Amino acid sequence: MSWRKIPMKFSGTCIVCNEKIEINEMGLWAKGVGVKHEKCAQIKELQCIICASPAGCPQCEFQDNCDIEKVSQICICKKCSEEKDVFELYQKSTLKKFPLLNLNS
Amino acid sequence: MWSEKHRPQSISDMVGNEESRATIIEWFVKWKKGTKPILIVGPPGIGKTTIAYLTTKQFRYDMIGLNASDIRSKSRINEILSPVLGNVSVLGTPMIFVDEVDGIHGRGDYGGAEALIQILKEPTVPIVLAANSDLSDKMKSIKKVVKTIYFKPIPPRLLRVYLQNILKKENAKLSPGSLIKVIDKSHGDIRSMINLTQSLVTGFNPQTDQSFENINVENGIDAFFKAKSLDEARSVLYSMQIDPKQKIDAFYSSIITSNLDTQTLAKLLNVLSEADILYGKIMKTQNWRLLRYLNEILLALYKNDDRIRYTQYNLSWSLLNRIRWDGRKIKALSLVIAKKLHMSSSAFVTICFPYILFCIKNKKLEFELEETFGDIIEKEIELLK
Repeated sequence: MSWRKIPMKFSGTCIVCNEKIEINEMGLWAKGVGVKHEKCAQIKELQCIICASPAGCPQCEFQDNCDIEKVSQICICKKCSEEKDVFELYQKSTLKKFPLLNLNS
Repeated sequence: MWSEKHRPQSISDMVGNEESRATIIEWFVKWKKGTKPILIVGPPGIGKTTIAYLTTKQFRYDMIGLNASDIRSKSRINEILSPVLGNVSVLGTPMIFVDEVDGIHGRGDYGGAEALIQILKEPTVPIVLAANSDLSDKMKSIKKVVKTIYFKPIPPRLLRVYLQNILKKENAKLSPGSLIKVIDKSHGDIRSMINLTQSLVTGFNPQTDQSFENINVENGIDAFFKAKSLDEARSVLYSMQIDPKQKIDAFYSSIITSNLDTQTLAKLLNVLSEADILYGKIMKTQNWRLLRYLNEILLALYKNDDRIRYTQYNLSWSLLNRIRWDGRKIKALSLVIAKKLHMSSSAFVTICFPYILFCIKNKKLEFELEETFGDIIEKEIELLK
């Protein structure tokens, strides 16, 4: 199956989110399958807080038990999770990204 | 408990919900009279209460903690909060924290929600609310007057990093398979993940790849009385995620059928009666918050005692045997004789049976009965002595 990026000639319903795709809007179309929004075609992934790259959700060992839409949106990629002092690295990166969290008790 | 021992000491020690944590801090930093209170919404065990306590500590507020039962009626809520809202300087720098605010609803609410909303509209001190869900109608009206911050479950891989850090501090190990299962089972709930890990590491449940979704009551009771320390017994108790009544009943049947000396038995039964009273109180008032005390009461049963093993039945085996087998024969016999005497079998057994036995014994009465009843009649006559 190949998805073709096309400007919509007619309005349609996205097969992922069930929302309407308006005429002239860009959409992805596949013969016999339907249309979907460009944004719906992107595979959602959490972000690794340490290296700032995608966390590798499609290959994650917890994939079946992690609802990407519902969990807290920052995670750790496999490579970073195998570092020695990973929790300290996580804390440092969190403080760097969210300096407000760095409160002295 | 590890979940208490490793409770974060500062906001940066927490894991997950980084953005929400930063938003809460920002709210505290910018807080001034009239600032909208915040409502933290999220499933249990992900740090809502923890962050409220930590921010209180770090911003040097004096926390006034309330729960759903405190805000059930208007008079009660005014009684608690009026002094705080009116005399701020006398009471230091107060901050109000209302935990499980979604617990107040339906018939349990005697004007408390309305009174709370009035207070939330004109806050003179910082007010933080926490709730597991914001979907009820009452929560919708509360949400109009607060700023809502969502706490989401923690991604499992991040949970593993957090858990590995705790295991490292405890100098303990868990097999990779068990680690994944603990995390999967916890569904983003840090507290339950740590409790489950502690119960596994302390050794009553071997770290195999077998499923340990729930510690069944049999293993739980046996492990409790085999535990080498009070802490181990506590973790066993907390891991028995069964109906509280079932838990009390299981301890009762196991204790009552064990070969214990009278003094020990009396002591243990006394503890069980305390637990039963608490359970009765919970059922009567529907105040399920009290359930948290049940395990602590039951913990007083702990004694490394080989004599106590799990038993399902709360009567001794000899008595159970008699009820089961002899009872069946007596019932059959009563049906036959009751018919001859033109009465109901239950009236016969309750009133006449002992007298009939005496008559048969003294050969004053004879019934034509099947031979199979001979044994039971003889046995019952023996018991008359």
